[in-house]
Amino acid sequence: MQALPLRHTVAVAVGRAAGLASRRLRLGGGTTIPGAVARRIDARVTRHLAARLAGGCVLVSGTNGKTTTSRLLAAMLRGAGYRVVHNRAGANLMAGVTTALLSQHGDSGLFEVDEAVLPAAIRELKPRLVLCLNLFRDQLDRYGELNTLASRWQQALATLPASATAVLNADDPLVASIGASLACRTVFFGLETVDHRQTDMQHAADSLYCPRCSGQLDFEAVYLGHLGHYCCPICGWRRPDPSFALTGIRLDPAGPTQLRLRAESHELAIEANLPGLYNAYNVLAAAAAALTLGAAGEQVSAAVGGFTAAFGRTETMRLDGRQLRLMLAKNPVGCNEVIRTLLLDPDPLNLYLVLNDRVADGEDVSWIWDVDFELLAGRCRTVILGGTRAEDLAVRLKYAGFPTSELPLEGNQEAAIRALLARTPDGGRAYAVPTYTAMLDLRRTLTDMGAAGQFWED
Amino acid sequence: MNLVLAWLYPDSMSIYGDRGNVIALTRRAEWRGIALEVWRLPKGARLDQLPDLVMFGGGQDREQRLIERDFLELKGETLVRAVEEDVPVLAVCGGFQQLGHGYRDADGSSIQGLGILDASTVAPSDKARRCIGNIVVEAHLPDGDATSGGVLVGFENHGGRTRLGKCEPLGRVLKGFGNNGEDGQEGARYRYCFGTYMHGSLLPKNPWFTDYLLLQALRRKYGPEITLEPLDDALELRAQSAAIARAR
Repeated sequence: MQALPLRHTVAVAVGRAAGLASRRLRLGGGTTIPGAVARRIDARVTRHLAARLAGGCVLVSGTNGKTTTSRLLAAMLRGAGYRVVHNRAGANLMAGVTTALLSQHGDSGLFEVDEAVLPAAIRELKPRLVLCLNLFRDQLDRYGELNTLASRWQQALATLPASATAVLNADDPLVASIGASLACRTVFFGLETVDHRQTDMQHAADSLYCPRCSGQLDFEAVYLGHLGHYCCPICGWRRPDPSFALTGIRLDPAGPTQLRLRAESHELAIEANLPGLYNAYNVLAAAAAALTLGAAGEQVSAAVGGFTAAFGRTETMRLDGRQLRLMLAKNPVGCNEVIRTLLLDPDPLNLYLVLNDRVADGEDVSWIWDVDFELLAGRCRTVILGGTRAEDLAVRLKYAGFPTSELPLEGNQEAAIRALLARTPDGGRAYAVPTYTAMLDLRRTLTDMGAAGQFWED
Repeated sequence: MNLVLAWLYPDSMSIYGDRGNVIALTRRAEWRGIALEVWRLPKGARLDQLPDLVMFGGGQDREQRLIERDFLELKGETLVRAVEEDVPVLAVCGGFQQLGHGYRDADGSSIQGLGILDASTVAPSDKARRCIGNIVVEAHLPDGDATSGGVLVGFENHGGRTRLGKCEPLGRVLKGFGNNGEDGQEGARYRYCFGTYMHGSLLPKNPWFTDYLLLQALRRKYGPEITLEPLDDALELRAQSAAIARAR
């Protein structure tokens, strides 16, 4: 092994010390500061640390489902005997990846990375596998346009050697089209089931045009946003056949989701404690990557069976004799899926919706007008609104058909949660639906109320 | 009374929540007992009859290119006639650029517009910043009655820089960039055709402007004596103030 420059050793030592200091002083930010400090000292520190992992690195990226999918994949890989270094708290810029490399020991890396960071992560980490989940319209104020992002992914993936693998979502035309001209091996996953199949596209959907010839794509089935079965009537380009597919999906609002997975030669029954169709996609994506990396079918289903969601993604807790379920909603397609999941609950809904417009949420709240809140009108017992743009939500719900007298705004999170629980029948279910930074705030509030543990400890 | 709204490219030119404008017009008509029918006009559909209102939202560069010919060939002629006959039109962002003379990209490629609005858009080099953020505008509209002026708040997100020729701006920028970040102008107006960079969505948080468009559509169709019954806009105005307070 080649000796590393002194700069590297210093960067590692100082980065680790910074992490220790920020923990001791309870400054928070322990998931990014060490990496940021080390990268400042040695710009190549990340590639050197990654090169030491004998089992190589796996990257997970996409607009929706990164954190949950990479946590599922981590559990599967651990079950298969890998010792995984993982940025599990969801710090998914290069500083967060580097912090995980500095602070954990293992033989393989598993990193979720921000969509805009994927090209840099591929360059520095030289991954053996990249899992591409989906590309939805999320924060155009931050990322620019969707097609630009897809072509950057394509260019980055094109640098991977034949020994690497790209695992791609066949149901997302933009992601699937990336697979066409890669030197590395490509593997596709997708849904092949009549369950939860729709024929109409939601308004929030993107990518309706053929990535090759710009013809308007025909969709024979739509599962979620613009994900589905499509073909181009002009050039004939069509969805690639997936080698990993869900052939059955049963969603149950009160119990676990039942999935049937077809993987190359065999079938697998999976039970997941994760609600919603979007989580079925997350399980499928993680399973496709794990099975490609050599995990066995039973290791995959065992890992999913024992899995609980990352904080805020979908977490259920008990508080004051009620069940409180948290569901992150940060963009139109994600929010529509949350609504679809809420509608599985047969009882009148008790909701706390929190809309923030901080930088990490996207400062533009226009997206709430692409969400089909109309579906919830008449289905709610309680709606409480919060966040830096609660007023915009109130207008959105008014125009979705909610009575204006039933849209209270509550700026204090603890008071909002108390009011929500007070209006939820004893033993009943309540839901909090926050945007990203609102979810982080909610985490602190619920910790103070005694309902959740420390963020960076999970 | 009833109105017909032509919604151009509801599938491909409707990012950043521009659907909210259609929802606001529909609801505020409905709440007054006026039926508003929406014609959805995607790529391939011809606009051949005059509607009472037109909405044209923003799209990504690629979508703008994809509809360029379709817009000029299948919608353009009737749209020009509609504007000349005082049909109110609202075009946001990409729609605004395409009602103008079009858009010239940094790499030399261009999108041809209809030229109803005397507005030309140029994309600066890749290095130049996009104009992104909350925007507050003091609007100046024709017909000097009480409903014709006021503050508009929205969210802008555009790379292109637009400059006006002979037409009036929609208003003056109080906070934000507007057409180009330099001349203090936002949007454009010719007769009752309005171009703007404001998403947000624009109309839900600016109910007076929604009503201005509705009233113009009704007066054109049913006569100048028509008035609109006032609505309780407490929530909308609270959202407007909150958004104005967020603008830097």
